[in-house]
Amino acid sequence: MKKANFIVSGVFSTFSLVVIFIAKGYPPSNHGVPGPGMFPIIIALLTLLSAIVLFVKTLRMPAASDVTIDLKSRAILNVYVTMGGLILYIAILPLIGFVTTTAVMLTLYIRWFSRRPWWKCILIALLFTVGIFVLFGTVLNVPMRFGLIL
Amino acid sequence: MLVEVLTAVFNLQIVFFIILGVFTGICIGALPGLTATMGVALVLPLTFGMDAIPGILLLIGVYVGAIYGGSISAILLRTPGTPAAAATVLDGYEFSKRGESGRAMGISTVSSFVGGVVSVIALWLISPQLAKLALRFSAPEFFLLAVFGLSIIASISGNSLAKGVLCGALGITLSFIGIDSITGYPRFVFNNINLLSGMSFIPVMIGLFAMSQAFTTIETIFTPDQVTQKITKVWPTKSDWKVIWRQAPISGVIGTIIGIVPGAGAEIGAFVSYGQAKRTSGHPELFGTGIPDGIAAPEAGNNGVTGGALIPMLTMGVPGDAVAAILIGALTVQGLQPGPLLFTEHTMLVYSIFLGMFVANVAMLVLGLSSLKLFVKVLSVPKAILTPMIFVLCVVGSYAINTNFFDVGVMLVFGIIGYFMQKADISVSPAVLGLILGPMAESNFRRALLMSEGSYTIFLSSPIAWTFVVLTLFTLLGPIVGDMVRKKRQA
Repeated sequence: MKKANFIVSGVFSTFSLVVIFIAKGYPPSNHGVPGPGMFPIIIALLTLLSAIVLFVKTLRMPAASDVTIDLKSRAILNVYVTMGGLILYIAILPLIGFVTTTAVMLTLYIRWFSRRPWWKCILIALLFTVGIFVLFGTVLNVPMRFGLIL
Repeated sequence: MLVEVLTAVFNLQIVFFIILGVFTGICIGALPGLTATMGVALVLPLTFGMDAIPGILLLIGVYVGAIYGGSISAILLRTPGTPAAAATVLDGYEFSKRGESGRAMGISTVSSFVGGVVSVIALWLISPQLAKLALRFSAPEFFLLAVFGLSIIASISGNSLAKGVLCGALGITLSFIGIDSITGYPRFVFNNINLLSGMSFIPVMIGLFAMSQAFTTIETIFTPDQVTQKITKVWPTKSDWKVIWRQAPISGVIGTIIGIVPGAGAEIGAFVSYGQAKRTSGHPELFGTGIPDGIAAPEAGNNGVTGGALIPMLTMGVPGDAVAAILIGALTVQGLQPGPLLFTEHTMLVYSIFLGMFVANVAMLVLGLSSLKLFVKVLSVPKAILTPMIFVLCVVGSYAINTNFFDVGVMLVFGIIGYFMQKADISVSPAVLGLILGPMAESNFRRALLMSEGSYTIFLSSPIAWTFVVLTLFTLLGPIVGDMVRKKRQA
């Protein structure tokens, strides 16, 4: 947890400094009424203060109470691979189309997670994809027809 | 008016949507890893094309059903279906070990119903009065109300206040994105046209609550949960009824009060009710060994939160919990602004919500007592198939709000952020509070200074403002003083 806390503290400190840097360029107060940069700066300063408090508290944390966060086990690697697959899916979704991309994505994930026969995975994926396509596209009038194929 | 509300709610279509919502909610709640917030976030896109009353009541049905449904897996699998059912595990699973899971679920169903009904009565009685009071609020009072709401972050931050504040501040900072409402100046838009109208908070919520939870499920995707218990004798015994009538109304009131506090959710309601039942019991040592009180109290407590959470949401636009925050989004999509004016301009909708919530609780009772075996079968739906489907629902749900792929990207980014926040033991609820209350605080602060021509005394110019200042100080200093007193006693 110590390592994670230091990372969290570092990320939020950097984030707050970037916010302050950008917000300082916004128009100033006018007749006593704060400008658009005042609130972002106040919140960024609060963020910075909390990040520093977290850093100091973590430094003082006894080694015995430190808990290791699992970020490298097989189970977690599965999550990373899933995230990667979803990033790819969302990137090509508007280009190719909902039905094709979603059916392929579902088939692959269901096959990977459940190890069912391919034909079952394809059937489940197709039924669910078409169901969602009809529900949102026809019943709820969400424009679902996009991309090169469908 | 009463006739209009009765006609609006008791028509076939609305009752169907409420029952559908409760049914879906119970299924979602029963499945470990799918929370009530996730369920409501996933069903939300379906309401975009619906009228306000059926749409909101569908979501309320899911909410009520899911909070109750969590107890099914808590009792059968020793795994709470939702965090709200965590306290139910303590005694509920002991019943299962004795082969009395049906009895435990019967107690849970009736207690949830009693807790839910108590909260609906409170919602019905308190909300109109609170809305009348809120009509007297102007910019300074709304600013101080938002600050009070934000101060609750101190209480819901879990183990680390610093992490809670960081998360809340992240939510507030996200709310700055877009054109400034007072000056029209674009902030943090980085020349991106999609950011000009601000960060749409529904994709952020779907990402933080639904997608991140789905990622967490992947970690255990290859280890199936198995139910071996047979469900028999669901109807509570005579002695169980006595316990339910003694325990559930009190816990329902406790849950309702906790629900009213912004940010405090059903999980806290359940644990506080359990603690109260144990403290006031003549035999506290039996708690945890499988006694009816240990199920009745947390289950009435968590369902008591459902109505309570809607009180500040409907009357002042301040969410009582994460689900209420999503309901604010649902109302906004329908072109409705939660707050005191909702009670004067959309009275019919407000009272339909009250009555619809009561119907949802009745539906929960009937479905719970009659179809438990069916809901137990839901536990056999493999996560391996369900989780990829949740991915698709998250994607379609985020896309459907503005038919915009940018929102889908936002959802995924916040799904990933939410996952790592969970890993770092950071609660995501403060971010939601920040996202909703941040703009309320900022715009009313600046509006108040415009009204007073820059004088800060306007923030202490009314008794209501003073009340919020005192409440905020109490919320912020209370835990610190409590800690100091505890340390002194220990020393």
